[in-house]
Amino acid sequence: MTKRKVIKVVLTIVVVGIAAAASVALYLFNKPHRDIQSASVDFALTGHALVQEYLTSAHEANQKYLDDSGDSKIMAVTGNVRSISRDMNSQVVVLLQDEGDKAGVSCTFSAATNASAEKLSVGQTVTIKGVIRSGAGYDADLDLYEDVIIEKSDVFNQ
Amino acid sequence: MKKLTYLLVISATLLAFTAFRPVAGKLVSKAGHISFFSHTAVEDITANNYKVVSTLETETGNVAFSVPMQSFEFEKSLMQEHFNGKDFLNTKDFPKAKFEGKIANISAVDFTRDGSYEVSVSGNLTIKDVTKPITEKGTITVKSGVVNAKTKFNLVLGDYGVTFKKGKPSTNIAKEIEVTLNADYQGE
Repeated sequence: MTKRKVIKVVLTIVVVGIAAAASVALYLFNKPHRDIQSASVDFALTGHALVQEYLTSAHEANQKYLDDSGDSKIMAVTGNVRSISRDMNSQVVVLLQDEGDKAGVSCTFSAATNASAEKLSVGQTVTIKGVIRSGAGYDADLDLYEDVIIEKSDVFNQ
Repeated sequence: MKKLTYLLVISATLLAFTAFRPVAGKLVSKAGHISFFSHTAVEDITANNYKVVSTLETETGNVAFSVPMQSFEFEKSLMQEHFNGKDFLNTKDFPKAKFEGKIANISAVDFTRDGSYEVSVSGNLTIKDVTKPITEKGTITVKSGVVNAKTKFNLVLGDYGVTFKKGKPSTNIAKEIEVTLNADYQGE
């Protein structure tokens, strides 16, 4: 191989390498958010059981359900609708809470799924799928029990 | 007849009290909005969170906020991952940021009358595992029975052990970010 050919090959490899690295970087930089509703369910349980798990050991429950990257577990939570409201982003918030439970599961829907939440009524039993953001527990400063938080929710039909 | 009149007066008074009960005691907000904004020459970053829980005691002026950290949403998913990661906010081990404090001039706020009141709040802010005292200004607005609290302040990330020494985050994230909070309260 002539010297010229060697340079050509090396240059090609370098250019292709840079282009590949740049496209990977660009892809990562613009990587879309995880689509919660098309992903599979990690845990299916009742709201009552989930709240109890958190009230027994918040630390253990956090280790089980939360993820370092914020891409935490996808839950399918079944419970009774205690209330239906809207947050400051016009998203419907459905609170699942059993009679006698100290805390519930607060499920925030999204612009894409608000309509299915609006069909629900208080007292109804429903299963809601979404990503867990934080757990339930008593907070001394607030002097109240905080609910489990689920977001990107939709009504789950198996 | 006299008895009946008494009864009527008592029930009318009771009714009046329940119907026009001024907002008082412990107020709760279960869906407050918190956002932050970071500006550098390289880029602007905003994140929003609509799951802030807060309480406000109208007599004592005690206020508390609880912010679920994983509920912050960024435009770019990679930023959200960095934010939650072990090197930055470590939200798996520290899922909530907290504030507990007191409104110094709570007596200046008339919760029975519509109006807007400037308040000063002092207390302790805990992010990750670091607690620091802060004093900030805010506005409480009372409008037909709904109490709203708003505040905007700057936060130095380094104060809470959130530091970016190298790579993109050190150039793209401001050392001081602007935090905006907005919460509607109702009776417990």
